Amino acid sequence: MNWLSALARGAEIPVFAVAGAQGLAPVEGLRRRPGLRLVDSPRHARVLLVAGAVDAAHKTALERLHAQLPPPRGTVWWQAAPLFARGEAVAGNDPLPAIRAAAEASDPDQRPDVPPHPWQGMGPHGQGGRGMMGGNPYGRPMAMTAEDIRDGLELDAYSARFGPFLPMLPPGLALDLTLQGDVIVSVTVVSPPFEQGVQGDAPDLCAARMLRLMGIGPRAARARGALMVLPKGSGMRRRLAAWLRGGTVAETPEPLSEALPGLEWAEAVLWLASFPPSQLRAVCMERQAA
Amino acid sequence: MTGIAMPLILVLLAIAFAVTMQRIGAKTEATWPRRAPFLGGGLPETHAWQRFHVRYYPMTLLFIAFEMEMMFMYPWAVVYVETGIVALAEMGMFLGILSVGILYGWREGVFRWQ
Repeated sequence: MNWLSALARGAEIPVFAVAGAQGLAPVEGLRRRPGLRLVDSPRHARVLLVAGAVDAAHKTALERLHAQLPPPRGTVWWQAAPLFARGEAVAGNDPLPAIRAAAEASDPDQRPDVPPHPWQGMGPHGQGGRGMMGGNPYGRPMAMTAEDIRDGLELDAYSARFGPFLPMLPPGLALDLTLQGDVIVSVTVVSPPFEQGVQGDAPDLCAARMLRLMGIGPRAARARGALMVLPKGSGMRRRLAAWLRGGTVAETPEPLSEALPGLEWAEAVLWLASFPPSQLRAVCMERQAA
Repeated sequence: MTGIAMPLILVLLAIAFAVTMQRIGAKTEATWPRRAPFLGGGLPETHAWQRFHVRYYPMTLLFIAFEMEMMFMYPWAVVYVETGIVALAEMGMFLGILSVGILYGWREGVFRWQ
């Protein structure tokens, strides 16, 4: 069994990276490191890497993420103060040894094993809710239809909190979204993106993030095609082209609650990625201060 | 005797097979937080079943309870005079079973305008 475990140890470690404040650029740097693979879902990950400081306000969200890694799981806090007592903290520039160590570890559960919304039946046997169209299975209402903002047809409206650690959104950005199909109907900003500093706005990193969202590797040869794919008139082409040329983008986005409704999910994600993190943060902070 | 025994054995075998499959089948050891959809730390406010919500279900129930009932009553009406009281009893049983469905729908609020 020894050679088998030695072989297994040589494999890439799937890591789910949570970028905190000042964590975006270091995480981008990890993508090129051999020995680990950054995955987009905690379900595929062996190690949870928290890079950069995360507010205590996001502790529960981080715990949920930790609980969504299938066991055995390990945790590494890289240049971040641990928010809960799992895994170990690393201060240096290279988290790889700690990630290797965490890949051998097995954290116990951080969240209690209870339903997030317990069953709340109305009947004497805990059955059902109100009527056959509605009902409250596991404490959450079934989605009811609402008028579609595009054509006035009635479609199911799905409400959920997205973020703050969703890989396709800027780290720290938490949105309360109502979706109909994949069209965004309403947006509330719950928490603004984390501070990323000057490094986070670096043109090559911003362009790489956007190209990755489009499923294109950061290869300049195919970037011209990527520009054609982006929807016209949204300014995304202009901003991506500027980044690909190595220039900076100083445009200020509209407030999210006005810009996102009406966009499809994939378009909205790209639109968010087409602004430098500092500009997005500024817009969200403004809205929160008001 | 074999006429009854064979189906009985088959039924018992089927039950044994189902129970065994249930025992040896994959059991999820996933905890509650692990089973939640991945939203980057957020939680959904509406239930995941909404994707599979059979909205036409109450309509179907009513359709079977009233429309299909009528379908069977037409041929019944043709033979009613010849067959007499037996047909009446049979139709009574049939309607009795169907009315359970109507009562169930009533309890669930099918007749309420939503």
